[in-house]
Order: sequence, then C-alpha cells, then structure tokens
Amino acid sequence: MLRLPRAARSRGATAATLAALFTVLAMFFGSAGATALAPAPVAAANQSAGVLAVPAEAKGKTFTIGTDTTFAPFEFRNGNGDLVGIDMDLLQAIAKNQGFTVNVKSLGFDAALQALQSNQVDGVIAGMSITDKRKLIFDFSDPYFDSGVQMAVAKTNNDIKTYADLAGKTVAVKRGSEGETFANSIKDQYNFTVKALDQSATMYDDVKAGNSVAVFDDYPVLAYGISQNNGLKAVTAKEAGSSYGFAVNKGANADLMSAFNAGLAELKANGEYQKILDVYLKDPAQAEDTSFFSLLANSFPALMKGLGLTLLATALSLVIALVLGVVFGFFKVGENKILRGVATVYVSIFRGTPLLVQAFFFYFGLPQLTGVPIDVLTAGVLTLSLNAGAYMTEIVRGGIQSVDPGQLEASRSLGLSYVTSMRRVVVPQAVKIMTPSFINQFVITLKDTSLLAVIGFAELTYAGQQIYASNFRTGETLLIVGAIYFIVITLLTQLSNVLDRKFNK
Amino acid sequence: MSPKIQVKGLKKSFGSNEVLKGIDVDVAEGEVVCVIGPSGSGKSTFLRCLNKLEDITGGNVVVDGFDLTDPKVDLNAVRQHIGMVFQHFNLFPHMTVIQNIMLAPVELKKADKAAARAKALELLKRVGLAEKADARPASLSGGQKQRVAIARALAMNPDIMLFDEATSALDPEMVGEVLQVIKDLAKEGMTMVVVTHEMGFAREVSDRVIFMADGVICEQGSPEAIFSNAQQPRLQDFLAKVL
Repeated sequence: MLRLPRAARSRGATAATLAALFTVLAMFFGSAGATALAPAPVAAANQSAGVLAVPAEAKGKTFTIGTDTTFAPFEFRNGNGDLVGIDMDLLQAIAKNQGFTVNVKSLGFDAALQALQSNQVDGVIAGMSITDKRKLIFDFSDPYFDSGVQMAVAKTNNDIKTYADLAGKTVAVKRGSEGETFANSIKDQYNFTVKALDQSATMYDDVKAGNSVAVFDDYPVLAYGISQNNGLKAVTAKEAGSSYGFAVNKGANADLMSAFNAGLAELKANGEYQKILDVYLKDPAQAEDTSFFSLLANSFPALMKGLGLTLLATALSLVIALVLGVVFGFFKVGENKILRGVATVYVSIFRGTPLLVQAFFFYFGLPQLTGVPIDVLTAGVLTLSLNAGAYMTEIVRGGIQSVDPGQLEASRSLGLSYVTSMRRVVVPQAVKIMTPSFINQFVITLKDTSLLAVIGFAELTYAGQQIYASNFRTGETLLIVGAIYFIVITLLTQLSNVLDRKFNK
Repeated sequence: MSPKIQVKGLKKSFGSNEVLKGIDVDVAEGEVVCVIGPSGSGKSTFLRCLNKLEDITGGNVVVDGFDLTDPKVDLNAVRQHIGMVFQHFNLFPHMTVIQNIMLAPVELKKADKAAARAKALELLKRVGLAEKADARPASLSGGQKQRVAIARALAMNPDIMLFDEATSALDPEMVGEVLQVIKDLAKEGMTMVVVTHEMGFAREVSDRVIFMADGVICEQGSPEAIFSNAQQPRLQDFLAKVL
C-alpha cells in the first residue's frame, strides 16, 4: 500500500486536511481507507515535534512486529517453543533499551511482508536484505547485520566445489532471499537450474535427498545450520553481500524506526550487540544429546502447545460449522427459493475453492479489502468453519432428505405443524443417519487445521516445522507430529463412536 | 344436513401429467365410501387431496365446512379432524408404540401426558395390542404395525378417517386382522373414505362404492349395483380381472 511520503506533508496542515488527502489517496490507489487514515495524526505530530523527540514517542507503546518462522539463527523456536535468534534477541534488547514493547508475530517471510503491506504488523525484522526494490515500498533501519551469499553442498558430495561444477544441475534457494537473487544472476553463466523453496530446512532436505545438488543461502544461516549438523558443508567463500535491515511501511511508524536506530547504535556502543551475535554465530555447537528420545522430550512441550491450539481451532470451527450447516441445510430442504439459492451459492463457493486459498484470503485479502486487521486465530477459525460449514450443510441436507418422506406426511396428517414435525419426527431420525458423516467431518477439520500453518497459526504442524527448522531433524520430528495426530484422532474417533452407539440406538 | 366432505371439480396435475381431471363427489356424515379402480387411476391422489397432503391444482375440497383451497384456512387444525392410514404404515421408528400414539395429542396440548397415555392404552386395547405399548415398531409384524397406525390416527378423535390401501403391503394372513379393525370403526358410525383392492371388504362394509379410471369417477353406486350390476364396460373389465 502506498502512503504519502514524509516530504510532501506540510508542517501547518491540519489533521482534517491530512485526513481528506489520505482518503483521496486511499481511494486513488484502491487501498483501504480506514487503515490509511489511522496513523495520520500520529505521523503529523512526530513531524512537528522534530527528530530528537522521536524516541519519547515510541516509549511506552506496543508495536506488532512480523518475522519469519524458520530462519535460524535469526529467528527460530527453541525446544520450549519460544521464539529466539539474533533478530529476536536484538529486537527485544532494543525495545528494552528504548522503553517500548513488541508483540512478535512469527508469520513466514513472504507472509510477514504481506502483513506489513496490509498493516497487519507495524514492522518486519526477518533477516531481510536491504534492496533498492524493497526501498520503494518500505523504509529501512540502519543495517544491523552484514551478510553475503554462500554455496553449500551435501557433506558427502566431493564433486561440486565451484560454481562451474553446477552445469546441468539444480540448486535450491529460499524464495525471495538474496540467495535466490544471486543464483538467478549467475545461473545462465554456469548453466544450472534454480528451484525456489519456502524454508531453509526444506532446502537442506532437498539437497540431502539429492533433488538439488547445492544450496545458496546467507552465510550466517548456513554457518549455523552446518554447526547444528544439518549434513551440509560450505564450499565457496562468502560473496560480497547485502546488509540486513528492519523495515516499516514507507512513511509510516517513524517513531518506531527512530527508536530502533537509536537503540541499535547504543547496543553496538555498549557491546551488547556483539554478545548477541556471539550467542548464535561464535559458538553455536553445543554438545547435544541427539537420541530420538531426547528429541521427543525436548520438543514435547512445544508440540503440546501446538496441539492445544489445534484442538482449540478444531473445536471452535466445528461448533460454528455445525450452526452454519444446520441453518443452510434447512435452507436447502426448505421451500423458500431465495434461501435455497443462498445456501447453494454458499456451498458451491466453499466446496469449489481450495481451503488454502480461503485461508490466504481471510488472513491477507480481507484486511486489505476492509481495512480491519484480523488476528490469525480468527482468520483460521473463520476459514475452517466456513469451509466445514459447507460440507456440514450437505451432510444435514442429505440426512434430512434420506428420511422417508412418508414420515413427514404421517406427522403432518396428524395435524402437527412443519416445524413440530421436523423437530419431533424427521430431525431425530436424520441425526442418527448424519452422525457417522459428522464424525468424519470432525476428523477432516482437525487435520485441516494443519493447513493454517501457512498463515502462521502456531498449531501442531507449525510447531513441528519450527522444531526441525532449528535442529534440522525433519524426518524424526515429522514422525512425532504424525504420531500425535494419529493418536489424538484415533482416541477422539473412538470416543465419538461410543457416544454414537450410546445415544443413537 | 350438509355433506361431511364436498368435492367440486377437483383437478390435480404433476407437472404436465393430469392425474385428476375433475372429480365431483359428496360424502355424508357416517358414510363409508370405498374407492376402487385400476392402478394409476388416481385413487390415492384423490384421497391425499382430502387432507391436502397434495397441493390442489383446481376445484374445491370442503371438509367440515372448511375449504382446503382457501389459503386462510388453518390446515393443521382441519387435519386434526381427519385421521389417515398409509399403505406403508409410516410409524415413527425412533419412538415406542405408545409414544407414536401419544405424540400428536401431547404436542398439540389436547391432553396432558397421563391422560394421553391412558387414552393411547385404551386405543391399543381396542386394536388388540395393549401388550405392545412399549415395543419399538421394528419388532412388530406388518399387521400389528398397521393396527398401531390406526390407533395413532384415532388418538386425535378424528371424525373422518382416510385409508390409503391399508392392506396392500401386508402378507395375506395379516389382512384380516386389519380389515376387522376398520370394519369395527365403520360399525361405530365413523365417516370413512377407503381406497382398497379388497373387493370382498368393499362389498361388505361400504355404503357406496366409487370406481375410478383415468382420473375421473367412472361409475358409483351401492355395493350391489357396482358388483352385481355394473353398467360401464371399463368397470365390467376391471371386475372380471379382480374377482
């Protein structure tokens, strides 16, 4: 979303004039009016107060900061499920130093940038290189880390030593990263293919599995991964690289930006900055127990937290879906053509589009259209309940229609109304028919919560991704995650069946 | 005295298929009318128009002075006076026998639970099934099911009973027990319209027999006249086949 640049604002302009201007601009760029308007008075106040007073502006405020999910050593989750890393430690230290608080949202790299543009977050720190292209839409802080791209191959690979050895091969890069830019810049010269993936761990697995022969990634990431026994080795020197910066939307949150720069300068001066880097880069390899059971024990608390959110999202979604299903299901069997049409359209839309697209739409698309930010649990539950509601509608319709029409006729012939007949005669029989389908939908919805990982909802699958992103033990971690799903679903299915037998005799 | 049921120019179409092509008939209070005729002649549709289980395409059906085609008439109230028994019983399988019978009186607040139960037991005794009060419909034979269905229809104290081929789905050895119950009702002076394939029964209990063919009343008269002195060739053909 484009904003009015700082220089264009006049000191004397009243808030009302600014507001009007923003509205026109917002309309002009087809962006949402409400969010465009909100920061105007604050920004105007900063401007008139002058640069020196800016840290005072950020003091006491809380900012929402978006970040990547899995970009060790800049951000990743430790065994307890806490988000740690250079970016996180630095951000917290600066916030403490400057007296503001941050609410960090771990969204994924692309998602964090989208969230920033749709004003879901105030700033993004995600090991992001400062580039000219990005400068067009974001304001960057002073660089806080100098990076550079490096190439690594599987530990056992002795054939690839230079870029020239890549001819005819495929290399893995992280989508939207410097590594991707660099790889693309030399791929024609050295005649190799570039494959863009979403997460560092996925890239490394791709190389270990032999699908790609090499990976181009930022040197600190590679260095950290290698020290964590990710099975790779660096084979080239670090390319002269870019610098990482903290970003806000262009022209927005100037108070936050000034505070970040001021805090960074102070931390560099007092040595705290170097201490933070040393934690992750100087001596990252600790003597860790690498047995399966220690992995299980270490990851268990984080996975249980994820499971809790999985169950919460499932329960909320199913309750809402059930209500939607009953309402629209009755619309579908009713005599009112308009209501029947409404229900049919609803079902067609939500059955006819992928759940993943729906999740993206509710989390990223809807805030851009309405200007109202939406938190990830709400977006997730909205997606799942509307989606499951469409299937529930069909289950309810099918259940009611499978009851012999003679039942309704017999009841109506006794003088009972349509509503009473449905309530006492048709629905009790339909519920019995519908129960197995309900249980089935319940299991499907529980599993579908895993798709919400893509919008950064910290459920079980996401928790698992976080763990293998920092320890690179993808196979074992996924095995544990899969087993948890299997056990929970089996238990809940058994419970449902017992209840079904008990109440639907 | 005005007739209990008055049907004038009754027409019924399903899409482009006209099933009833203009029926005129009156049924007097206490009269027992049997409707016979070949399959597809419109007998069942005619019967289902009498309590408006079918939407009426044209003409009028007046029951107890209420015109069923008038949208202002409270159909639920009129239907409480018309009991109906179906070919396939249509008992509610998720309820016990006595719950089937008590449902309408209790839901419509015609009786409290205790009174409704007492009345239901009395009706079950009348159809000879008092011991089955707490059984599920699924455990009953066809004949027993149909007798429960009759008791259920009687629970609202209707003054008209409609029977839609009540014995057609029964094994032959069970037809008698159901017909006996219907005969008893006839003796008590209930106004009844009975669609049936049981010619002997029609001859025995009817005050009047109506022969329908191709959506019209082809011939009607006393059982004597219909069964022993048929005028129309179509009726003669029909009787030659079924008797």
